[in-house]
Amino acid sequence: MDEARSTEDRSLAAINVEKVTRSFTVDGRSVLVLDQVTFDVPSHGISAVLGPNGSGKSTLLRLISGLLEPDSGRITIDDQPVADADQRVGLVFQEPRLLPWRTAIDNVAFPLQLAGVGESERHERARALLDLVGVGAFSAAYPHQLSGGMRQRVAIARALARDPQILLLDEPFSALDALTRERFNGELLELWQRTGTAIVLVTHSISEAIYIADEVVVLSKGPGRVVARVPVPLGRPRNPDVRESEAFSRAAATIRAFLSGTPAELAEEEAAGAPIRDVLERAGAPAFFDPFRGAP
Amino acid sequence: MTAAPSTSRRHWRSVVLSVLAAAVVFVLAWKAVVIVGGYPVFILPAPEVVAGRFVTAWADGTMAPHAFATLSEIVVGFVVGATLAVVVGYLLARSPLAERLLSPYLVAAQATPILAIAPLLVLWLGTGLLPKVVICALIVFFPVAVSTMVGIRSIDRRLLELGRSLRATRWQVFRHLELPAAMPQILGGMRVGVTLAVIGAIVGEWAGADRGLGVLVNLARGSLFDFPLMFATLLTIALIAIVLYLLVVLVERALVGSWR
Amino acid sequence: MRSIYRLLGSVLVFVLIGCSPAAVPTATPLTKLTVGLGYQASVQFAQFYRAQQQGYYRDAGLDVTFQNDITSNLVTLVGQGAVDIGIADGTDVIPAVGQNIPIRYAATIYAQFPNVVIVPANSPIKSVADLKGRTLGIPGAYGSSWVMVQALLASAGLTVADITERDYPDYGQAIGLQQGQVDSATAYRNNEPIQLGLQGFATNQFTVDDITPLPGPGLIVGTATLAAKHDALQAFVAATLRAMDEIRANPQVGLDDSIAQVPLLGQDKATQLAILQATIEMWAGPYTQAHGTGSIDQAAWQKSLDFMRGLPNSNIPSTLTVDQLMTQELLQ
Repeated sequence: MDEARSTEDRSLAAINVEKVTRSFTVDGRSVLVLDQVTFDVPSHGISAVLGPNGSGKSTLLRLISGLLEPDSGRITIDDQPVADADQRVGLVFQEPRLLPWRTAIDNVAFPLQLAGVGESERHERARALLDLVGVGAFSAAYPHQLSGGMRQRVAIARALARDPQILLLDEPFSALDALTRERFNGELLELWQRTGTAIVLVTHSISEAIYIADEVVVLSKGPGRVVARVPVPLGRPRNPDVRESEAFSRAAATIRAFLSGTPAELAEEEAAGAPIRDVLERAGAPAFFDPFRGAP
Repeated sequence: MTAAPSTSRRHWRSVVLSVLAAAVVFVLAWKAVVIVGGYPVFILPAPEVVAGRFVTAWADGTMAPHAFATLSEIVVGFVVGATLAVVVGYLLARSPLAERLLSPYLVAAQATPILAIAPLLVLWLGTGLLPKVVICALIVFFPVAVSTMVGIRSIDRRLLELGRSLRATRWQVFRHLELPAAMPQILGGMRVGVTLAVIGAIVGEWAGADRGLGVLVNLARGSLFDFPLMFATLLTIALIAIVLYLLVVLVERALVGSWR
Repeated sequence: MRSIYRLLGSVLVFVLIGCSPAAVPTATPLTKLTVGLGYQASVQFAQFYRAQQQGYYRDAGLDVTFQNDITSNLVTLVGQGAVDIGIADGTDVIPAVGQNIPIRYAATIYAQFPNVVIVPANSPIKSVADLKGRTLGIPGAYGSSWVMVQALLASAGLTVADITERDYPDYGQAIGLQQGQVDSATAYRNNEPIQLGLQGFATNQFTVDDITPLPGPGLIVGTATLAAKHDALQAFVAATLRAMDEIRANPQVGLDDSIAQVPLLGQDKATQLAILQATIEMWAGPYTQAHGTGSIDQAAWQKSLDFMRGLPNSNIPSTLTVDQLMTQELLQ
């Protein structure tokens, strides 16, 4: 009975990260990069992983995709443990990493070619994906002929080539200017609606995280620990105006508080609608006395 | 996207014109030297004498069999040497142990003048095609192996991580990632290699052969005392080297030109 | 102060007196001659070494320096005038003059043709005709050896197509013969057969003199040098031929003077003497015995010219005549 219930509970989760710890040897010393990280992403869900530099965000993505193995803990996708270079995962790196000697369509077809798919079939699929990301007209172009944004789109199309259940993106838009970045955020959401893959986006932009995700996993500075899992109280579909809403800025403030180290209760209180306090205030310090809310 | 075709055609025309102009200047300077120095034909024949002899030597069938023999030695030697070199270069790039073990021998082989090795090879392998092929292969080996090693090592690690994330096999990594990434360097090494192969063929022939352009040079100089023919043969050798070099450049443009 | 100047002044005066032409005893300057001998110093050039050692050149007013180079290079050097007089193969002179290189054959050194074909003494090859279908070791299909082979084969109605040629670019064809790699080999009469004989390997020879009288090596001069240094060259030739006669009468003096000139040759006197004696034998032939050492057999040259012109791949023009090849000017 218990088993059935627990399985039922977990079947909704696409990715399950349980107490994952990982360290690296640097100059002979062991450096702890991730410490007991635990969170889950429901199937078809979007999570953002947010943290300062050195919080192990990129390492976390590589662990989920199976390029690295955790020292302890486990990661499962649909209850199956993650395999080495798990092909259920599509990976988009920070740089497009396109093969310069291949055209866009051949780049997108590359994973299919490695898997042994025939030429006409893989070209057909690649063309469809390029159309999906909006660069279908440039399928015969070489990477050096494309702008940075177009190259990243091709990289996303490539990540989708093998129809993955999960798309992992490691700060994919950090090289773009702010305006293009906002536009790409919107396009990523559209893509998500059409493909339905679960998405984990690593970022260090708070607004990007909130705009895209259902939940923002906040990591601390190295060694990376989950400081908070902040749910995003915004509806779907999200249009650009939502960035100006109060809910948006409240969520941003909460996250900012976590990033700078304010204790959990205070941050949650703020998220629940309490007047915005100065985030530098800490519990125990003299605070604003609100006669209608009681003592701090 | 790319520049309009007319620009590349214009560029091509200007290249051809500048090459022709340089050739004309060279010929005029040569003629001037002959006139001013008063050199007899058996020391330095004038360009028109050499040109005339060049034409007759091809027309009466003197040059052709020797040119064909030398060209075969070069092509076979180059193919053998370059293929081996790419394989060894790959090994050196990927295995630090291999590099440590093999490097001293490779450097020693390269440093030993081919002129000294050639007669030994003829002694062991006779005066047929084989020793020439070996000499050409040897002379081509080092530049192509080194450029392959450098090229393979220069591949962006991030592309290798991409390959791993896509579960590429060792062969797939080589075929689809390392080899194309190294191609510009490998072809650069081959440019050098192909011109060296011409030298190798001639040196091999001088060590012992009954036909070839190197043999013809010696025959013309020491048996026939036909110095215009000797110069015409040198001209043929130079033309072969130029054509082969241009072929490699064309291959490079075809394989690598589009994505740079 | 003044005394120093006086000292300097007198020193200067003495120096000037010492340097004035009147103070130096005049002597007729020697004519410098650069003489090109073969590839390396050898007892085969004994006559030149003797003339040098015994002062015949100096007595004739000549300051002779020797230079070593291969015969085909000497042809161009002499034609250019970089070398005044040198030894070259007669069979090289014909194509060279045919290509307008301005040289002339001026004196015969080898009245008998030195290139021969050798076979082991116990070989079944008893005559040239027996060479048919056999293997021949040769440095390569060029030079005086090649002309000799073709002449030899022609005498038995054969051509090079009837034999199998095996190239020894390192000149090891005689060793190849000794090791049984080939049935026959080309050689120089005064070299390989002597060396092999001393090692106990006896050989028989096929010579070409009675078949086609090919011209052996001799002295060549450039036409320009001939005009400019006529008397000096004439004196040189005379001194050299005198030394040849003396050595022929007493080979030992030839060996001694060779060793004096080139100490390296003293290492194996027995072999060197054998080589010298074989060399001396070739200095004289029927024509030179009748007409004097160094004399040039024009009729023989004509036959050789006709023969070489008729060879396949010959580039000798039909307009070439014998008197363009030689000069009797330096012989008295």
